[in-house]
Amino acid sequence: MEETLRVAGQQALNAVQAKGLEGEAFLLYNRELSIEISGGQVETFKEAEQMGLGLRVFNHGRMGFAYSSDLSSRAIMEVVRDAISISAYTAADEFNCFPEGGQSYPVIQTYDAGIDTAGMQEKIEMALEVERTARLYDNRIKQVERAGYEDAAFSSLVMNSRGLYAFGQGNYCGLYISLLAQDDGDDQNGFEVMAKKRIADLNPRMVGEGAAMKAVRSLKGKSIASGHMPCIMEPYVVTRFMNILSASVQADAVQKGKSMMADKVGQLVASPIVNLVDDYCYEAGIASFPFDGEGVPAQKNMIIDQGELKGFLYDTYSGLKAGRKSSGNGVRGSFRSLPGVGTTNFMLIPGNNNPDTLIADIEQGLYITDVMGMHTANPISGDFSVGAAGIMIEKGELTYPVRGVTIAGNILQLLPDIEAVANDLRFYGSKGAATIRMSRISVSGN
Amino acid sequence: MLSKDILSSVLEKALAKGADFAEVYVEEKLTSNVFCEDNKIEKINSGREKGAGIRVIKNDKTAYVYTNDLTSEGLLKAAAVANRAARCEARKVTLPINLSLKEPEFDMQFTRLPEQVDWAEKIEQVLDANQAARNIDKEIRQVTVALGDMHKRVQIANSDGEMVEDELARVRMIVNAIAVRDGQIQTGHEVAGALSGWELLEKVSLSDMATQAAQRAIAMLSARPAPTGRMPVVMHAEAGGTMIHEACGHGLEADLVQKGLSIYANKLGEEVAMQGVTVIDDATLPGQYGSFRWDDEASPAQRTVLIENGILCGYLYDRLTAGKDGVQSTGNGRRESYQDKPIPRMSNTFITSGYDEPHEIIKSTAKGLLVKKMGGGQVNTTNGDFVFDVQEGYVIENGEIKYPVKGATLTGNGPRALIDIDRVGKDLGYAIGVCGKDGQGVAVADAQPTIRIKELTVGGTFSGAGPEIKRIQRK
Repeated sequence: MEETLRVAGQQALNAVQAKGLEGEAFLLYNRELSIEISGGQVETFKEAEQMGLGLRVFNHGRMGFAYSSDLSSRAIMEVVRDAISISAYTAADEFNCFPEGGQSYPVIQTYDAGIDTAGMQEKIEMALEVERTARLYDNRIKQVERAGYEDAAFSSLVMNSRGLYAFGQGNYCGLYISLLAQDDGDDQNGFEVMAKKRIADLNPRMVGEGAAMKAVRSLKGKSIASGHMPCIMEPYVVTRFMNILSASVQADAVQKGKSMMADKVGQLVASPIVNLVDDYCYEAGIASFPFDGEGVPAQKNMIIDQGELKGFLYDTYSGLKAGRKSSGNGVRGSFRSLPGVGTTNFMLIPGNNNPDTLIADIEQGLYITDVMGMHTANPISGDFSVGAAGIMIEKGELTYPVRGVTIAGNILQLLPDIEAVANDLRFYGSKGAATIRMSRISVSGN
Repeated sequence: MLSKDILSSVLEKALAKGADFAEVYVEEKLTSNVFCEDNKIEKINSGREKGAGIRVIKNDKTAYVYTNDLTSEGLLKAAAVANRAARCEARKVTLPINLSLKEPEFDMQFTRLPEQVDWAEKIEQVLDANQAARNIDKEIRQVTVALGDMHKRVQIANSDGEMVEDELARVRMIVNAIAVRDGQIQTGHEVAGALSGWELLEKVSLSDMATQAAQRAIAMLSARPAPTGRMPVVMHAEAGGTMIHEACGHGLEADLVQKGLSIYANKLGEEVAMQGVTVIDDATLPGQYGSFRWDDEASPAQRTVLIENGILCGYLYDRLTAGKDGVQSTGNGRRESYQDKPIPRMSNTFITSGYDEPHEIIKSTAKGLLVKKMGGGQVNTTNGDFVFDVQEGYVIENGEIKYPVKGATLTGNGPRALIDIDRVGKDLGYAIGVCGKDGQGVAVADAQPTIRIKELTVGGTFSGAGPEIKRIQRK
């Protein structure tokens, strides 16, 4: 595969350099498999294979970009022509620069041969087990909306006119389910996903039973009286908040004045037990890879260390703008898009406590299991007001389900209120967190 | 594109051992986008796509494989993978497939294909529009202008021997203007698009759109806070048919109906809307953004009456869902690209015009809200509950438009709104957008005449979560 991609990239790069311009070829080959099952049978099977080239050209600081999923010699020449002609019209920017060559890359295990050697039947069986264990968990599980297995493998190559050359391969796999529990006319959704670097780490039963448990425990919830109270957030809920936070620690947002964290480097922004990291090299994380979409080596970047904001995430452009190097966060969704600042394996480092011990001394509080409308949170001010569902905590015990409440506050004020971080690290996609306890949160209900 | 011989051999491979149906969809697409923000050309993008999707159906189960290796070896390999995945076991002899090219029922003309227009011209249009918006007032602080076009050629062949070849182009233009006064922010938004080449820009002026967007943003700065509570709402034709599309139309798509995820399931022949309300999906409208000649599985585009005079009379079908219900496809099997399997989708969906004069509808309204432009929102596609932002709204008092209001939201239920329509205007206005479903975006248009809904909640919040909740952000 490397050879096919390299030949195409070299052709594009040579043509760009022949015009006296700088260029960068990003090539991707990927293969995806998805098996969706329903009622104990495979409903949809999908296998995809594609490759393509994304070409960036810098013409005296002006950028041109074009892509193609057709890697024929003729198509590549058209891409080069388009990217060069586009570069004549865009605004010049002194920070438009490619990373230099001669980089050394960390050695990370990013490819699990087990995913390739596992047979189709084995993968189907895992998806069926997810559905089966969910249905068996409780007779109130009335409908499995979708359940399935997915895996993806990719080969990525970056080369630029400053002599940079990087090639790597990676893969991952996952299981998911979404279902409905019903009791006395009350319907509640439950879902679970699990994505792993190694197929041997997938646990179908945990996915099936997890989703069923989530749906069943939410049945017949009711609202509660408004007030301030301590709360526990499940890892999933914490990752939803981290989505908002992640936008604020990306240098482009900081530079455009769109971050609540701007001007706070070196300050205590969270309680001292909070450690937040973006770690491209974390082998168990599905985002792990030796280099980013610009060919910059993967790094582990501490963002919050014992409550103190250490810094932001940079791609080459935002790095140069800030007078520093890229932090290896020039992330690329596909060959169809430009690289931009993004997170990799973004996680809240777990603590030592068992999650159960976090609840033990709460007299009255809310155990939050879901939040709704998180996209409405303001990433600039940190203000949020979102729907929430969960379970009431009374005298250290989980009691009745709660729904129809709103939790509101400001993320900047929430971070110092984190009292404990448990040891149950869970990843949802590439964001990972453990259960946390907050000293107080504003809940509006009845 | 590919020869009949290659397509037939790929289909035969895909159909081996007794699959029920096999299909090849081949696509070649050119796209370009120009985006202006902060007074400069922020992004220009040019893309080429080429690929094929192979679908095999056996016992209602679908196997789908796509590749952008269009050599005959690449395609045969993909066909074999799809065939194996569909688990065809019977040793049925596969007959040779004789493909015959179907002739389209109507003609489409594209006079200036997007790739024939050079970048300089596209950029000039965008920069002119940016300037036009900023010229309106110095309170216009930010303007974004986006211009996108697409030209594609497709080939579809299936094991029933059907084959179509088609070519189409779409152009879309978007302007967003932001006005600021004393820390208060208001936006104005204009979108236009058509199944057309660049000749569209001779009919629709991007600069005029920019002017309108900027004027609306400025006007809304002086708007008063919106009233709240339940009241009659007059939806002007200019607001387009986003509500009918999002809050009713999805419930008429056969896949959701068959899965029991629609309130319109098992209601054929029943009264589901006010008498006088007719809802149609029509992919054959010349030049409309959601139009096409063939759907993405080689069925001809058609006009489908969904609700006639208040009575539910049909659903939107693709081939697979039509087979389950024992009916013909309505030509609504659409896909975003060769990477996706077709599913039932809307094309151009609208409430037909009635007999009332639009100004009479306003005149006969004692007190209420007039909606002239809709914003984004959220919809529960299962039951049709919705909340929409109102981008341009006015208070009606004693039959007169009194003053503009800002911050209004409409909370209600789509199917209920169809029952509560009590006046239907003789006009018709369109809105366009890209509708998302199961991760696939397709071009759609929707329309309605000026209508009055007896009562809707203005203000109010949306409750609910889960996979059936869809965020509406028409861009």
